[in-house]
Amino acid sequence: MKELKKIKIVVAGPFAAGKTQFINTVSEIKTVATERKTSGASEKNVKDYTTVAMDFGKIRIDEEHELYLFGTPGQSRFDFMWEILGEGALGIIVLVDSTDPKTFHEARKIINFFQSRFPVPIVVGANKQDLPNAWSPEDVMFALDISEEEGIPVIPLSAKDKEQVKKVLLTLLEVIRYSLEGS
Amino acid sequence: MALTGDLTTFSFADILQVLAKDKKSGVLLVEWKDMIVAYYVKDGEVIFARPVDKVFRVYTDRNFDQLISKLRIRKEDIHKTIERFFLPRLDQKEGIFSFTPGFIKYDSEVPVRYSVEELIMRASRSLTEDEVERKISDELLIFEKAPDVNEKVSRVNLTEEEKKVLSLVNGSRTVAEIRKESGLDRLTVDRALYGLLAAGIIRRKRKERVQKPSITLDLLAKIIEKIKQL
Repeated sequence: MKELKKIKIVVAGPFAAGKTQFINTVSEIKTVATERKTSGASEKNVKDYTTVAMDFGKIRIDEEHELYLFGTPGQSRFDFMWEILGEGALGIIVLVDSTDPKTFHEARKIINFFQSRFPVPIVVGANKQDLPNAWSPEDVMFALDISEEEGIPVIPLSAKDKEQVKKVLLTLLEVIRYSLEGS
Repeated sequence: MALTGDLTTFSFADILQVLAKDKKSGVLLVEWKDMIVAYYVKDGEVIFARPVDKVFRVYTDRNFDQLISKLRIRKEDIHKTIERFFLPRLDQKEGIFSFTPGFIKYDSEVPVRYSVEELIMRASRSLTEDEVERKISDELLIFEKAPDVNEKVSRVNLTEEEKKVLSLVNGSRTVAEIRKESGLDRLTVDRALYGLLAAGIIRRKRKERVQKPSITLDLLAKIIEKIKQL
């Protein structure tokens, strides 16, 4: 049986940004999750389970190719996994919880991490826009110090909404296309 | 859309940065331990501050000129409210903030004694090591001066240390090199970089993309079509 070629997109972001939900929403398989009970007191207040290695979902493209969506663990103590997952990625989606400004700095650090090691196209998803107190995508962009020159689009979404998740993916793919056509 | 958060995790320098970049107007309410203060923001500048016993009072006085007249404050003196209720609190970390855009009407120009860039720099001078690490997280980061650096700098009273750090930002030196060449202690350099970045005087140097996407345009088109059909 012919082995399918894997194309990889990484879904990164701070703790509880909605990465697992994002992948679940578009994956054609049930997401392969590596969740464990949260350990820190502050983490327990946010959610009971968290990703400790990676999540992945996949989408079959044709007879030869599959698109893999790899979700990284959010806590920076697992940043060694970011390095492993970033290798060979076509692009990076950084999700941010728009209602939680205390995680914005962490998101910026993640962007810096991938920019310095894997200079591939990046898109930011300003998640949880369906919740009250969500910061607008423009304000998230300002808070993350993203300048126009960086070429990182910030897209509003709720990771529960398939069309909105698709829009984030399509935006990343368009940035990749732009990058390919320009090279 | 309101902006809410906690000063322990999102400092004054950060809030002012967001207000300034979008030149927002509205009211920033901060619930300190000892009082609630309403900071009036016009086009990204903090122009007036007043303590309020009840939050709803802020929303009842929508005309700024009438408000300061009612409070018997002359326009040329409103900067004193910043000196009394804002500057001494820049180093206080415990407070909940909420910015509500719009709703205040300004009939006339309001003098600005302390530009937002000045306030950001002052706020950055009291950041802790943990706080500066939020923006200056990597010693390999490279910054460059913003195109309008001279205009922005003219609105700030930079300290000698900050001027030195700014002079070393050239689009090629890393944070580690600036720390070393400045001869200043690390926290002073990082605070200066944090403030200059938040004030828009410097910005991150964009990395030139060197990694060509490992995919053909045909395959990319297939993926795009597949995602659209999901």
